[in-house]
Amino acid sequence: MSISSLVPRSGKVRAGLIIVLVFVLIALIGPLTATHAPQATSFDLRQAPSARHWMGTTQTGQDVYAQFVTGARVSLLVGLVAGVVSQVFSVIIGLLGGYLRGVADDLLYILTAVFLVIPGMPLLIVLTGYLPSRGLFAIAVVIAITSWAGSARVIRAQTMSLSGREFVEAARAGGESRLRIMFAEVLPNMLPLVASGFLFSVIGGILSEAGLSFLGLGSLTTVSWGSMLYFAQSGQALLSGAWWWYVPPGLAIAIIGAGLALINFGIDEYANPRLRTGAARRHAARGSLAAGADPTAADAAAGGTELPAGGAGGPAAAAATTRAGAAGTSGSGAALADTVPDADPVIRAADVTGDPVIEVDALSVDYPTVHGTVHAVDGVTLTLHRGEILGLAGESGSGKSTLTNAITRMLRPPARIAGGAVTYTDADGTRTDLLALDDRGLRGIRWTEIAVVFQSAMNALNPVTSIGSQFDDVIRVHRPDLGPTRRTELAREHLRRVGIDPERIGAYPHELSGGMKQRVAIAIALVLEPDVIFMDEPTTALDLLVQREVLDQIVRLREEYGFAIVFTTHDLALLLEISDSIAVMRRGHLVEYGPAAEIYRYARHPYTRSLLDSLEALGSLA
Amino acid sequence: MSIAAPTHDTSGSPTAGEIVLEGTHLVKEYAVGERRGVLRRRRTMRAVDDVSLGLRRAEVTALVGQSGSGKSTLGRLLARLVPLTSGDIRLHGSDVGAATGASMRRYTGEVQLTLQDPFASLNPLRRVDYILGRAVRLHQDVSGADEVRARCAGLLERVGLGPTDHYLDRFPHELSGGERQRVSFARALAAGPSVLLADEPVSMLDVTIRKSMLDLIDDLRREEDLAVLYITHDLGSARRYSSEVLVMHEGRVVERGESESVISDPQDAYTKRLLAAAPDPSRSLGRSR
Amino acid sequence: MKYLARKIGLYAFIAWAALTLNFLIPRLMPGDPVTLLLEGSQGAIDPAAKAAIAKAYGISDDPLPVQYVDYLRALAHGDLGTSISQFPVPVVDIISRALPWTLGLVGVATVVSFLLGTGLGVLLAWRRGTWSDHVLPALTFLNAIPYFWMALILVLVLSVHLGLFPNAGGYERILFPGWTPQFIGSILYHALLPAITIVLGSFAGWVLSMRNMTVTVLGEDYVSLAEAKGLPSRHVLLTYAARNAILPSITGFALSLGAVVGGSMLTEVIFNYPGVGYTLFSAVQAQDFPLMQGLFLIISLAVIAANLVADVAYVFLDPRTRQGA
Repeated sequence: MSISSLVPRSGKVRAGLIIVLVFVLIALIGPLTATHAPQATSFDLRQAPSARHWMGTTQTGQDVYAQFVTGARVSLLVGLVAGVVSQVFSVIIGLLGGYLRGVADDLLYILTAVFLVIPGMPLLIVLTGYLPSRGLFAIAVVIAITSWAGSARVIRAQTMSLSGREFVEAARAGGESRLRIMFAEVLPNMLPLVASGFLFSVIGGILSEAGLSFLGLGSLTTVSWGSMLYFAQSGQALLSGAWWWYVPPGLAIAIIGAGLALINFGIDEYANPRLRTGAARRHAARGSLAAGADPTAADAAAGGTELPAGGAGGPAAAAATTRAGAAGTSGSGAALADTVPDADPVIRAADVTGDPVIEVDALSVDYPTVHGTVHAVDGVTLTLHRGEILGLAGESGSGKSTLTNAITRMLRPPARIAGGAVTYTDADGTRTDLLALDDRGLRGIRWTEIAVVFQSAMNALNPVTSIGSQFDDVIRVHRPDLGPTRRTELAREHLRRVGIDPERIGAYPHELSGGMKQRVAIAIALVLEPDVIFMDEPTTALDLLVQREVLDQIVRLREEYGFAIVFTTHDLALLLEISDSIAVMRRGHLVEYGPAAEIYRYARHPYTRSLLDSLEALGSLA
Repeated sequence: MSIAAPTHDTSGSPTAGEIVLEGTHLVKEYAVGERRGVLRRRRTMRAVDDVSLGLRRAEVTALVGQSGSGKSTLGRLLARLVPLTSGDIRLHGSDVGAATGASMRRYTGEVQLTLQDPFASLNPLRRVDYILGRAVRLHQDVSGADEVRARCAGLLERVGLGPTDHYLDRFPHELSGGERQRVSFARALAAGPSVLLADEPVSMLDVTIRKSMLDLIDDLRREEDLAVLYITHDLGSARRYSSEVLVMHEGRVVERGESESVISDPQDAYTKRLLAAAPDPSRSLGRSR
Repeated sequence: MKYLARKIGLYAFIAWAALTLNFLIPRLMPGDPVTLLLEGSQGAIDPAAKAAIAKAYGISDDPLPVQYVDYLRALAHGDLGTSISQFPVPVVDIISRALPWTLGLVGVATVVSFLLGTGLGVLLAWRRGTWSDHVLPALTFLNAIPYFWMALILVLVLSVHLGLFPNAGGYERILFPGWTPQFIGSILYHALLPAITIVLGSFAGWVLSMRNMTVTVLGEDYVSLAEAKGLPSRHVLLTYAARNAILPSITGFALSLGAVVGGSMLTEVIFNYPGVGYTLFSAVQAQDFPLMQGLFLIISLAVIAANLVADVAYVFLDPRTRQGA
């Protein structure tokens, strides 16, 4: 365990809260404890801290402590007012623009852009330069006017993303009014953003006020941290070594700024689970789909993307909370899977002729969660033969993705392999213990022997580099002896093999359709002619017709190259059609394993039978 | 296991169920390309291209198509979530016009839409009682927290979720996909609608719970005399659960007719290709190794 | 290049908005500059003088649209009015004297800070879950320190106490400005401490945002696939993760420029650096409103231009924006 585990999840937030609380207390109570009036001069000129003047005096004999605590009050108040005003602006403008769209949005967007790009500080300086009387409140409002835009843009983007989500659509379809949808449905889902925007504007407000006052543009009749620094600077505090005068206000600004930013960290981590550090990640393991951590949630997502439009790309905050408990719960719902009794696994001899290429022996994967350890994969034994298509079936949460991730060593923490072995045998009969390989050895075997096709080709290709370069890097790394021309030839050849015009090699992923992307992903998997390809729901996101083309291609290429495939999907009909063998998983266990034809005709495990019955009940077309 | 397919007494007689919701020559065009900004392109794409259909009382009409076929857009047009480019929608024979606030509220009392993704269609921050309670307050003439809660419990019972108190106090993320989908149906029922537009109600659910969900829709159709539009990409379930099927492709209805005959004897080339492309376990049995 | 055309259009509009804002502020703010100035002088000034001052500000009793046309016409001729504090030097001359100093100092320091911060951010993301997570709170603290206070402290420690750096000015006063190695050396020497201040004050922000973006991107499928491809870690990190994570950072860079410029201006004040920020400070002190406004306009236009440059860079880095080119 790293040192970071010693920092509790909310450590940063807690520290931030404590800092802010301390300053709030100073601002509230401090002025009452001061023994001098903040602006009263005395003859104790530029004195170091003493019992009489706890933090020393200025060059006109003013008490620094009194000024500091009064300044705290003023600075925090300006920050608070600026924060509130600017957030109110941001929320209204962002929400209206993002929800209403159309011309209103265009205008608000341009308005936001203007305030976003025009630099705030100079604008602030010019504006305050013209303010006839610089009251605190006026300054705070001016600061808010120059700082609302960034947050408004973020809120607009989030509103647009949330408006496309189905619960908003459902509210509209249910007859809710626009205003209510905006403020009762959309806004609560953005509270982390609003809170974070608010904290930022408070920091911004405090800093701006300090900057302005330091330039002599603040409300000079009021004592603030900024004006203290202004007088310290003009009073030559620096050169005379009166550190007690100018250090405290600056340090205070930095500390409270850091405190607010630390709270913000916590908000970010709450909204985006991937950002969690150390222990926070383990605490969140039960729900962090984004980190690819939760076994059941990961599978749920795999089963939940039949249409590309699905949940893809939802806002992090909402996605995290929505998906979080997706699978962990076992309500009394009518899930047939739960009503089928457990029975002993049914394992039949394979009828495949090839030599074994991957042998999985009693493999177990555990996920530590707050509710105890989850055995995501429990004692699974499988053998994949050369040239075999092994279909891995199971519903959400069955552990099938966890199993393949464990075999390919793609498991991410906190998941860990709790036992068992995975052995790879190459064409010469050399056996390799996959689980024991170090990074170097692993890199050597990856792609040359074992390749992967991910579920969603939409996200599996790097969006900012061309198709060609995504072929090229893998060839360059694993076949260093090949020159650039030969590498390009190889890539073009494999594009042709999957039925894509080789001229498209310079295309970027966004220029291809979903089916084409999936084929490119398959072509990249083929390029080094591996022994085994793991395909995780490779056709789930595709249309029926495209799925058929891709499937036919996979089967044909298998004949041509002779690689073995581990094909994972929740679509049992599809699996039965293309596989040689089928392994049915349920709750981390292998319940039935054997030749596809036998399982289709004489499924013996009650769970397998219930799956087949469901297929039948939903109206098979046969 | 023998599953009794819902029986339809409508075969051959198109007038058996009175038409509740009718769309004629519905067209929806979208501007293509970037929507944003000063320079706006005027190229359009027809998502729905001259589609007419009628939903009948106590009958299920299936709308089958692949993603991008325009079937979901058609559903949203009928729910009046998106404005029509042209065409008419009639509810109980009278034209519904433009969707203004008050008329929209009345319309949603008659026509309800449920959505595909059970993970996304419920506000993650609200408990089930709030979600259902809003629908009850909007569409039923009740007030008082106890009365509303009682109605919500009644709704949950009708969709087969019990004990109701257990479910009312849950957040959506504490429910399974199937349970959430049932809550969505309960919310739709709160309005006491005569039309239910169900957009891919089972596609994101596990296969073993799909049947019970479709059975629920069929029960509701019968008990509430609901006219149901079942939007799906799955020909098999369309055949089993609907009396009439419309096959959509690129915004148009390419084939329509009585379900059994469309599936067993497709006329249109596209329908034939779709049927041929569907995974078929029996195909592998003939394959030689 | 539709994306780019639209961006240019937007920035043209923003530039126009800045011009107009600059025109409107003195005319619509409650206190008009002439009165403010006269209050300052606390004496009876005869109406003729008052009119002369008003003229110097370009303020007249003409209706606003007429004034606006005059204002634009003057701008088109590069006329920003006449400075009050350095009467009768044109504002344009003062600005063009100050601008190179700021462009050199703030420009270079900002770019250095961005590169340094971004690089460090990627590194911290890669090493997340280790000791590196503990650097974050320290960076947060660094990020929250006001520029000018940091400048004060650095001056105190490095320049006053240790005497490592000069504490004021842009070059040695005794030198005659020219392209001599001695003079250039003096410029660099004087710029070093202000530059360090700006870099220290701003790089932590880039680190934090780049780290968060990279961590988010590291969870994407294409990064997992790159790992599955058996590519070396460095390659995965740079061409897959960082390459994607930098995109939002570039937008962020453009948008934070305003804040950086604002902070840098305060830094110039501390160092008496003869750039735009210091000039603005002096203008404010002297209530030299024409100069203030001219400076505001120039700074705004410079930031707008920098934003445009960042957006062009974005087009080159993200193929998706080149769609329909």
